[in-house]
Amino acid sequence: MKQSFQLLSDPAGLAGFRGHLRELLAKAGFDEKKSGEVVLAVDETLTNIIRHSRGGKQDGIGVEFSDFPDRIEVLIRDQGEKFDPTTVPPPGLPPDKPGGLGIYLMKTLVDRMEYIPFSGRGNRLRLTKLK
Amino acid sequence: MKINHKQKDDIRVIELSGELDFHSSPLLRDLLQKILSEKVSKILVDLKKISYIDSSGLATFIEAFQKIKHGNGRLVLAGLVPQVRSVFEIAKLDHIFEMHASDEEALKALSGI
Repeated sequence: MKQSFQLLSDPAGLAGFRGHLRELLAKAGFDEKKSGEVVLAVDETLTNIIRHSRGGKQDGIGVEFSDFPDRIEVLIRDQGEKFDPTTVPPPGLPPDKPGGLGIYLMKTLVDRMEYIPFSGRGNRLRLTKLK
Repeated sequence: MKINHKQKDDIRVIELSGELDFHSSPLLRDLLQKILSEKVSKILVDLKKISYIDSSGLATFIEAFQKIKHGNGRLVLAGLVPQVRSVFEIAKLDHIFEMHASDEEALKALSGI
C-alpha cells in the first residue's frame, strides 16, 4: 500500500498531517508507541524543511508513505538547498542550549534514515521503521 | 494548543492542552518570556493534557529553564504522559528537569511542604 501527500511549507499544516500519518500507521499495525516514534521523526523532518524554506509556503513538500510486510517507509521530497541530515553529528546530551535536537530525534526514532543523492533541485530523505 | 495560566501564592501555574509543536511552541515561548521578564521565580508547567511534543517544544522549555535557573528560580514540569515523557528521556532532559507525576505534587515541592 502506497499513499502520497503534497504539503505546503506551512507549520499550520503539521498537526493535520500527523493525524493522517497516525491513521496510516495504525492500519500498518503499529502500536501507539512505535507510531508515535515514526510521527515524531517525520514531523521533525518536515519542521526542518519548513524552517529552512526560502520559497515561502508554496515551496511544496512531497511525502510518500509505503507499507511493506516487514516495514514502513516514508519518502520526503523538498525543493530546498541541498542538505544531508545524516551527516550531522549528534548533539551533546542533555543539551546545554535550545535547539539542535530535531535531527537527533529523526535518527534515533527510526531504524534507518537514508539521504538519496540525485542531481535535481531539492532533497530526498527516506525514513524506515521495521514492524 | 491552548494555554491557561494563573497565580497560586508565589507560583505561576501554566496549564497546556493539545499538541506542542513548531507551530504552537512560539505561543508558549512568548508567555514564558513575559513571565520571566516579571521576575517570577517559580513556574509550574502542567503538561497532563499535552499529547505530543517535538524538538521545538523541548527547546522552548530548555530556554526558559536556563533563564530561570540563572536567576536562581525553578521551572517544574508536571503530569507528563508517557509519550511526552519519553521524548524528554531520549534527549536526556529528564536529567536536568524537575518532573512530578501531578500538579499537586509539583505544587507541594515548589511550596517546600
